[in-house]
Amino acid sequence: MHPFAYFEPTTLDETVALLARHGRTADLMAGGTDLLVEIKEQIRRPAAVINLKKIPGLADLTCDAATGLRIGALVTVRTIETSAEVQKLYPALAQAARDIGSIQIRTRATIAGNVCRASPSADTLPPLIAYGGRIEMVGPSGPRSIALESFFTGPGKTALADGEIVTALVLPPQPEQAGSDYIKHGRRKAMELATVGVAVALRRDGGVCRDVRIVLGAVAPTPIRARAAEVLLEGSTPDETTIAAAGCAARGESRPISNVRASADYRRAMVDVLTRRAVAAAWERTR
Amino acid sequence: MTSVIGKSVKRTDTLGKVTGGAVYAGDVVLPGMLFGRMKRSTVAHARIASIDVSKALALPGVKAILTHADVPRVLHYGSPHPRSASVTQDQYILDTKVRYWGEGVAAVAATSEEIAELACELITVDYEPLPAVFTVDEALAPAAPKIHDVGPGGNLVLDPFLIKRGDVEKGFAEAELIIEGEYGMGRPTPAYMEPNVCLCQWDPLGKLTIWTSTQSPFMVRGTLAEVLGLPLNKVRVLVDHMGGGFGAKQDLFQHEFLCALLAQRTRRPVRMEFTRKETFLGGRTRHPGTIWLRQGFKRDGTITAREAKIVFNSGAYGSHGPGVTAVATASLTSLYRCENVRLEGRCVYTNTPIAGAFRGYGVVQSYYALDIQMDEVAETLGIDPAELKLKNAVREGDIAPSNHPLTGHGLEDCIRRGIMETGWATRRARGRAPQTGRLKRGWGMGCEMHGSSAYPGIKEQGNAVVRMNEDGSVTLLTGTTGLGTGAHTALAQITAEELGVRFEDVAVVHGDTDVVPWDIGAFASHTTFMAGRACQMAAAQVKAKVLARAADKLEVSAADLEVQDSVITVRGVPGMRLTVREAIAAERGIPAPQLLGEGSYHPTKAYSFGAHFVEVEVDTETGQVSVLQVVPVHEIGKVIHPIAAAGQIEGGIQQGIGHTLSEDYVIDPKDGRSLNASFVDYKMPLAMDMPPIRTIILETAPSDGGPFGAKGVGEDPIIAIGPAIANAIHDAIGVRFRHYPITPEQILAALAEKAGEQAA
Repeated sequence: MHPFAYFEPTTLDETVALLARHGRTADLMAGGTDLLVEIKEQIRRPAAVINLKKIPGLADLTCDAATGLRIGALVTVRTIETSAEVQKLYPALAQAARDIGSIQIRTRATIAGNVCRASPSADTLPPLIAYGGRIEMVGPSGPRSIALESFFTGPGKTALADGEIVTALVLPPQPEQAGSDYIKHGRRKAMELATVGVAVALRRDGGVCRDVRIVLGAVAPTPIRARAAEVLLEGSTPDETTIAAAGCAARGESRPISNVRASADYRRAMVDVLTRRAVAAAWERTR
Repeated sequence: MTSVIGKSVKRTDTLGKVTGGAVYAGDVVLPGMLFGRMKRSTVAHARIASIDVSKALALPGVKAILTHADVPRVLHYGSPHPRSASVTQDQYILDTKVRYWGEGVAAVAATSEEIAELACELITVDYEPLPAVFTVDEALAPAAPKIHDVGPGGNLVLDPFLIKRGDVEKGFAEAELIIEGEYGMGRPTPAYMEPNVCLCQWDPLGKLTIWTSTQSPFMVRGTLAEVLGLPLNKVRVLVDHMGGGFGAKQDLFQHEFLCALLAQRTRRPVRMEFTRKETFLGGRTRHPGTIWLRQGFKRDGTITAREAKIVFNSGAYGSHGPGVTAVATASLTSLYRCENVRLEGRCVYTNTPIAGAFRGYGVVQSYYALDIQMDEVAETLGIDPAELKLKNAVREGDIAPSNHPLTGHGLEDCIRRGIMETGWATRRARGRAPQTGRLKRGWGMGCEMHGSSAYPGIKEQGNAVVRMNEDGSVTLLTGTTGLGTGAHTALAQITAEELGVRFEDVAVVHGDTDVVPWDIGAFASHTTFMAGRACQMAAAQVKAKVLARAADKLEVSAADLEVQDSVITVRGVPGMRLTVREAIAAERGIPAPQLLGEGSYHPTKAYSFGAHFVEVEVDTETGQVSVLQVVPVHEIGKVIHPIAAAGQIEGGIQQGIGHTLSEDYVIDPKDGRSLNASFVDYKMPLAMDMPPIRTIILETAPSDGGPFGAKGVGEDPIIAIGPAIANAIHDAIGVRFRHYPITPEQILAALAEKAGEQAA
């Protein structure tokens, strides 16, 4: 493995100072499940690795119906996957967590790491965005928070400024009669990257759905909202015809590439299928 | 009544493996050890104009660098059967040419892996690119660039392999139905858990010791000795535990030569270990290829003629291309009876990674084609495919691919049992209600047979030395390698059974070419069959010596003695007994006798049989296929260790599901680059993907050639699962696929096409 300087700061201030000192040559490490592999495979060669694990408070998780979900930067994927509260209130996120890697990987990997890695196929991003999540950061000029939807700027690229670190992900409380789902398409059932991932969050208002958010993963440089599909469903009863139209619209909004995992055509077809299935499942859960 | 064989005794290797105590080649650490790395080619076909190693040599910690200018220029076989017909003499350790993207062009030894890696990056290679060919069609084109100077020319690895029996023209003339088709095969790799690794050390007197992950240590010894110009007693090969090989680790790889030479140059031990990526680039794959197959049938399903043309893509070197081509071609004489056959097998060089030996050895490909075509015929003739296959199954007296008459009715037994176990007739599409909804289920079956031993391609020999110690315990010396299959446990069982001692009394010594008897290597489903028989022969000699001594002591005839579980009894004289230990113990100060047995066995051939019955579910919206259940029925003669045999079958099915549905090592047709040389994008099925498997093992056609009637099981289970799945997919959705892997994308496209046809 390529050699690097290694730091274990114990406060956020210290971390921000270290980042200021090392600039872009430093990488932050939470779970390390992506970072260390990338260093070993010489995809990354950081001069410094800053381990965040010694900073108190960053692993805190709060989840309740009244205040919503707050995921500290060191909360592991496994913690989210196995939290009864998250499973109940944010089932699409729990599902996405369950779809990542293996139990061993999930026990080390963090949700914030999955977010900061900004892989177009990352499983937790579609549900986090669908739930209207925000991301909290701190840097040399103090703390700030933005909507996750605008956090991703390209494959591996985010709105995180130089010297900033992510401190938490925050999801708003779920409305009454909320329903959501995440469906991943892969070549096998575990240890797999998404070929396509679709998250849907909505709420039931009598016989129609409201606040529909559909987020597509692995079909664009970043996770994207399928806004035309959302508009079709907003205020409508998600019957078979409407759902089919939404699937078709989402398919049209996707911009996938062809690679060894799947062709662009196949990915588009799967956006259609998975959107229909995820909308139907989300609606079913509002009952 | 047997007391040891047929029982699933506790394997001799499990405790070491679960405690981490088992030593693999990569676990060995020596003082002063250096780390070797290979610089690999970034072009698919080129002459090396120059290599500049000066920057790399200047890097602190770099101890030696080897290029083609520094290594012996000896053309070698790269494979373990020198001068057999199975392999090709077409490799140099390092050549002045590169023939595929990823081939090694230089090697570094340094004080750490990191420095060695960095040094590889600092080596600059000036390539003069040559036109490259990546497909068989490109390689066979008249103006194709020539990849090798050796061989018959035209980029052929060997002259076309031809088999002709009977009168094919007459057979087709008599046919009432003629069916033909072309079948295509992808490029699966064995994906063994343990990447290739070796450690080399020279002693001050010029003797080389190499710890290496190989299936054939004596072949490593022979080839290294030949290339390095050493006598055989100056090369010692050690292999204790292995993390799989699946056939591919029969070859000698570039790093094994280079590691020895780096250790010689630096006078320090050197370890070279492949990264996972290198197991793709520098490993061996199954042969991709196409098989054109044409058969004639009577309306009752009798086969009148069979004609086939096999073309395999060998990649940049021959490796086992000749053997695989011969075995695949010969296999089409059999499985389903046909007196009139004309078969041709070709194997072609391309500028792609090397294909080699891989579990199933050409038969995975040939029976995929044959067994799918049988289903097509069954459909056309309106006969149930299992019944059609049963009708045509080879049986007692039929001439096998090896030109021996077959023994018994193993294949028919497997098919009949599977039909019964699955309630076959009611499971198939025509026996059940039409399915609505997006999920469609179907059943399919496929058959296989495979030889135990590589005879007649290779004249083999299995050896064993059995020694009884003065306390009655037994030491078995065997040259055969344990790939992780439990082979040594089976050999110990056979030895214990024959000798009449307890399983626990037999210890196995293996894995040291200075100590154990010569062995040809662990491959060709022959270890239990061939080495097991040698163990039995050696044990019988020791038993005779023990009983002779016991007879003296008891003052009875040795012919009246029986021994079981280390206790000797006299037939017809209850109560008269002696333990083995007592029989051979020292007496009156005279040491116990030297009790040594030596078995040497030249096998011919036995065939094992199998039929796999499979249920699949196809998601017609996503094209994804789930294998819901598998009922494999195998006839393998006497079973030595039931759980180990079942383990082989389950593992073969897992690999076979991967071959058929997802595994394909993809080479860019534009520049020969590997597109998925990692487990990120080369996907084998894992535990979550595995269906329930109900394994049934039959012992209805034991072999006279194997120990206690045992036959091989190692390769068989990877063969029938493929066509069974393809046939089940057809049963589910009415679409016929004639290639593997069958991807979700292709299923969707085929369904769309079918819907279009129906609408039109």
